[in-house]
Amino acid sequence: MSDTPWRDVLDVADLEESWVTRVDLGSRKLAVYDTPSGVYASLALCNHGGADLCDGYFDGHVIECPLHQGAFDVRDGRPVSAPATRRMRVFETRVKDGKVQVRI
Amino acid sequence: MTDAIVTPLTQALAEGKLTREELKSFMKRSNAPGLRRLALWGLVLAATTWLISLTWTSWLIWPAMFLHGIVLVHHFSLQHECVHYTVFRTRWLNDLVGQICGLIIILPHRFFRYEHCDHHTHTQITGEDPEMVPMPQNLRDYLLYLSAIPYWRTKLTELFRHASGRLSEGELRFIPKVEHQAVYRDARIMVALYASAFLAMALTGWWGLLWYWLIPLILGEPVMRFIRMTEHVGRPTVAQMSENTRTNLVSAPWRFLCWNMNYHAEHHYVASVPFYALPRLHEKLKDHIFVEPGGYLAAHRDILGQIRTSHEARPK
Repeated sequence: MSDTPWRDVLDVADLEESWVTRVDLGSRKLAVYDTPSGVYASLALCNHGGADLCDGYFDGHVIECPLHQGAFDVRDGRPVSAPATRRMRVFETRVKDGKVQVRI
Repeated sequence: MTDAIVTPLTQALAEGKLTREELKSFMKRSNAPGLRRLALWGLVLAATTWLISLTWTSWLIWPAMFLHGIVLVHHFSLQHECVHYTVFRTRWLNDLVGQICGLIIILPHRFFRYEHCDHHTHTQITGEDPEMVPMPQNLRDYLLYLSAIPYWRTKLTELFRHASGRLSEGELRFIPKVEHQAVYRDARIMVALYASAFLAMALTGWWGLLWYWLIPLILGEPVMRFIRMTEHVGRPTVAQMSENTRTNLVSAPWRFLCWNMNYHAEHHYVASVPFYALPRLHEKLKDHIFVEPGGYLAAHRDILGQIRTSHEARPK
């Protein structure tokens, strides 16, 4: 089990339903996803071209970059469509006491 | 803090041309519109194919093949939409249909995807945009481009380069190393399929594929070159999407054939918007982009006017 502490990133009530929500956490930009199987989080910038994934199309568990439509599975960061070829960085996420928390 | 790169979309959102809620609504996807249009597409293809059969023994086969060719070359438009995953909500359907379109027009889908991504990154920037069609310097260059001869030379050279396991310097810039072998494999499969088709025709003595497919494709390609020129040629070679891209207002049959890609500036602004939502996006963005109300013909009048002006301005 990770020693990294959980950090509150936003209220569950502020999550965009079945979509992606942008969160600034200190120096980091995070993308938080409301999916059919729970809440997930990743770095917000696409590791291909650096565009903001939070402006992309989100469907189920797949986030699509708004610039080139490269896509990732938000559960594990796996690239699912070119030009995304590298796993995106995802963070352990949970919902507790009305807050979305990530280990970061 | 690392910031996201500035894209036409981030600019549009920042400048209030589009709200986040509107963006979400425009991006919403469904399989139904794409499947309906694809069914109609199949009927149109069947009709133009039937016209060739009907005129088989007459000189009218040439206009019939030209008409069929116009439909065939527009598989490019469908493939282009599939590259962006904006035809169907189901992602693999876009991949499948895109691959089939690529086979029909001799354009491997994976390679086109990478090339086209780079076009969206560097739209209309000289030396960086891999799909840039340079502004013709004179009427001869203009007509040569429209003949599609340079297009076929480039595309066939590209295909055989990839099939022989090589990429150009420019291609190395936008195709990641992990995909090189896959690009080579795609090109080899394409060459093998075409070689098999020719072998099959030679063995059976039935050369129908030439008359129903390849000759119409060659006859129709100048029409696609004519349309592709209207997207960016003659617009300023700058990064601003409001300037460097032309939206052409065209009639319903052309919109059908090009899968609404005449709304080209809107597409470049928000490439995640499905083809069927582009007319709605046009209504939202039309005051912020360059729109050619006279369609493809007016765009060409503009291009020809610029060629004439630049020719007259040169020292004698």
